[in-house]
Amino acid sequence: MSEDAGFTIRFAVSARDVKCAPGSTVLEAAEAAGIKLPFSCREGMCATCKSQLTSGQVDMQHKGGIRPKEIAAGKILVCCSRPLSDLVVER
Amino acid sequence: MIDSTQKLPGLLARRARGMTLEAPFYTDAAIFHADLDLIFGRHWIFVGVEPEIAEPGDVMSVDIGNHAVLIARDDDMALQAFHNVCRHRGARLIESRHESVGNIVCPYHQWTYGLDGGLRHAGCMPKDFHTERHGLRKLHVRSLEGLIFVCLGEEAPADFDEMARVVGTYVAPHGIARCKVAYSEDIVEPGNWKLTMENNRECYHCSAAHPELTRSIFAEGFGFAPVGAAAEAQAARFADMIGDLHARCELRGIPSGEIDHLADRVTGFRTERLPLEDAGESETLDTRVACRKLLGDLSETRLGALSLWTQPNSWHHFMSDHIVTFAVLPLTPETSLLRTTWLVHQDAVEGVDYDLANLTAVWHATNAQDSALVGKAADGVRTSGYRPGPYSADTEGLVEKFCAWYVDRMQAGLAG
Repeated sequence: MSEDAGFTIRFAVSARDVKCAPGSTVLEAAEAAGIKLPFSCREGMCATCKSQLTSGQVDMQHKGGIRPKEIAAGKILVCCSRPLSDLVVER
Repeated sequence: MIDSTQKLPGLLARRARGMTLEAPFYTDAAIFHADLDLIFGRHWIFVGVEPEIAEPGDVMSVDIGNHAVLIARDDDMALQAFHNVCRHRGARLIESRHESVGNIVCPYHQWTYGLDGGLRHAGCMPKDFHTERHGLRKLHVRSLEGLIFVCLGEEAPADFDEMARVVGTYVAPHGIARCKVAYSEDIVEPGNWKLTMENNRECYHCSAAHPELTRSIFAEGFGFAPVGAAAEAQAARFADMIGDLHARCELRGIPSGEIDHLADRVTGFRTERLPLEDAGESETLDTRVACRKLLGDLSETRLGALSLWTQPNSWHHFMSDHIVTFAVLPLTPETSLLRTTWLVHQDAVEGVDYDLANLTAVWHATNAQDSALVGKAADGVRTSGYRPGPYSADTEGLVEKFCAWYVDRMQAGLAG
């Protein structure tokens, strides 16, 4: 991988494009860039960080904080989601 | 205001059989709170129907006076009920009547509970914090063929099982679990919850007050049995119809006969399948089914209406095409919520299989009429001129049973 490895996440509300380091979650990428997102448990239970994914795919390892029908509607928990492509998140 | 907590035992003891209750039972704040503790806090309370929380993660909230309850469908499809209060700083957990959640999360500091009530996450608490001691406080919850009852007491009355066994066979053919909510209506009745219940327990007022309802129902099915030649002829006609309906239903394996334990059980109830006028199909303005997709596996439209009454707070009408359930939830000493829910088969399509206005017309009108009558009673009983009045033995026997049950259960509560 090159120096700028990792996918790009566009936080649409903040109008910021952020590089996500390999292995980092979407939340960690936001924090590294100084973007404040709501969160609490950081492990996919409380859904405080639930966000709309408008483009791209993620690997989400949640612990029951989100329902299949929400996932089908494009919701993700950013605390436990790692990019599998470039993303656009409504945050 | 009279300090009626001290006077309550005396007021209960001197209540005369066959007479309305004394004024403080309908107006006094202390007695209202005693009702919330001893009646609504210790008995099986009807709160809703299973189709309201059909899928895992579906939750509903219901307030019963000062009791806030949440009921969840867990991942094993079982019902779970809890106090709707966070164990952290007491914030209300589920705000709206219905939500779909992953876990139950407090909106204040995000304390997170599983659908089993266990505390899964509480941020910024010490390492040795005992999450297992801070789970949601569980409540008893039972489904009677899809009718959801909760009990807030430590020990729930055990005779629920007997009611469920008997009533279950009556209700089951209507397949509540395979229904959907077509419409729900909340109205605030301007009177104490007992005035709402007493009004429901008689049909003495029906012919004058309920032109839409009496289009299909017979007052005789609701304890109305006046004397006189014309009344007796009508009663004879009703007896013939009930005999015919029950015979036809029994042939189909649908239980129909009257069972009455309104006043002799802790979990008081009554049920009977009652004939309807003319087409005999449904409680509609034209007495015909309002929904062409019938409930459960029913194939016969002309099944009259199965009535079910439960103490202290519900009544229900089950027809071949739709169900109407009623829950009375106390709000203040002199206001009560009447929550009405219309159910149709889950596959029925509005505008195709049923017209919503037609489906709801009779009970929408009847509820408004009843609410006005409850208001008139409330307006009178709070005045200085009110004195307890006599029930008609021929038409208000079920009201007497409601009051007798209430007095008995209040006395039992005060004793224990």
